[in-house]
Amino acid sequence: MKKFIFLLSFVALSLSFNKLNAQCDTIANICAKHIISTFVSDGQQYRALLLNSEETAEFHSTFFGETTYRIAACSGTSDGNLIFNIYDQDRHLLFTNRTQKNAPYWDFKVKSTLETIIEGQLDGNRNPGSGCAVILIGFKQK
Amino acid sequence: MNIYKNMPNKHFFAIIIATGIFASCGDHKKDETKDEIVEAVDTVKNSVLNVGGELFSVPSPIQTALLIQKSGIPYDKSTLNASNKVNTFSTDFTRSLNLGIYGADLGYVSLYNQTQDALGYLAAVKQLADKLGISAAFDASMMERIQKNVTNKDSMMVLVGIAYRSSDAFLKSNQRNDVSSLVLTGGWIESMHFSVTAYKSKPTNDVKYRIAEQKLALNSLIKILGNNPSKEVVDLTAQFADLSKVYEGISFKYNFVEPTTDTLKKITIINSTTEVFISDEQIKLISQKIQEIRNKIVNATQS
Repeated sequence: MKKFIFLLSFVALSLSFNKLNAQCDTIANICAKHIISTFVSDGQQYRALLLNSEETAEFHSTFFGETTYRIAACSGTSDGNLIFNIYDQDRHLLFTNRTQKNAPYWDFKVKSTLETIIEGQLDGNRNPGSGCAVILIGFKQK
Repeated sequence: MNIYKNMPNKHFFAIIIATGIFASCGDHKKDETKDEIVEAVDTVKNSVLNVGGELFSVPSPIQTALLIQKSGIPYDKSTLNASNKVNTFSTDFTRSLNLGIYGADLGYVSLYNQTQDALGYLAAVKQLADKLGISAAFDASMMERIQKNVTNKDSMMVLVGIAYRSSDAFLKSNQRNDVSSLVLTGGWIESMHFSVTAYKSKPTNDVKYRIAEQKLALNSLIKILGNNPSKEVVDLTAQFADLSKVYEGISFKYNFVEPTTDTLKKITIINSTTEVFISDEQIKLISQKIQEIRNKIVNATQS
């Protein structure tokens, strides 16, 4: 019985995993439209399953000097569902889209190289519950 | 359409309910069953969140190539991994790493408008992806677009970036994080190779500082690779750990300055500054270690 339950759980979770990935792919495709052709993608897709609006996904990234970056942050099929914050290495808040009506993308002109922490969080006011968060980065030289 | 309606919580609760029904039928130990389910949930969650719930960012090799070109360093084909070596890579480990290296080389040759060489690297990328059984990661229509734009440097940069992002997404979706992390690693090694080679031929501060500024990327790669227990990856990680020791001696002085945001233009100017302290000796050691690691990857025939 124990093995059966485990197997059942595994099959069900695998199915939900496949569905989740398909949803993440859809969100990523929508999000990619914000990285317009003047920006070169960094070649990666940052995605995370967030179970509620309390949970955050974060990653560290180096922003090189003399470069303009575009960050696009999406969840769901419409813009503005994901809050994203950018901090420096000492946790000074450099930007939050929360004060910019949850803008789905923003540009950053970087004078001197710095290490950043990029944080994504679902906006509980717009969509309570879980969701796939996708963040994309593009860059262009000055 | 509300995407959240279809999110996994629904399945999760269904499983919990189903488990509860089945659990009540037997006399097994409830706690053990619960542990297994929690473990299964964690497995699914972690495969989305990548390594242990953390996400990692590795700088684009194209960005380094752009800096090198901007520094006035001329095109040098001899520094690249020859595009006709695809058949010499006999394992998924070496193929994945060299797929990353060829991607970086494709970006480099495109940037210098070397059309013929670009076609060679494009073919090498296709062949390696086929051999890895991930040809779907490099979408045929995208490859065709790249081929059609091979003479347009700007379009090439954008398309190569998109192609590698799509392949990264494909590999992650298909639980091939092992390949994805090695492709990123290969790209990073090649970009470091561009930098140290360029610095030897023309030592500029821009390139020197860019080498130093890879400290975070190196640490990210060590964490990404650390999730893979295979012997060859463990060996590679050990080499990176050695390189990391050199990086430990490099220091940075960061000075926070309040950023300025232009809401209308949707842009924030980050005014903070960073000073980099790296010695010639450290550059020399980094160069040596990068060459050692890269040589093993590009000359691998058996491993």
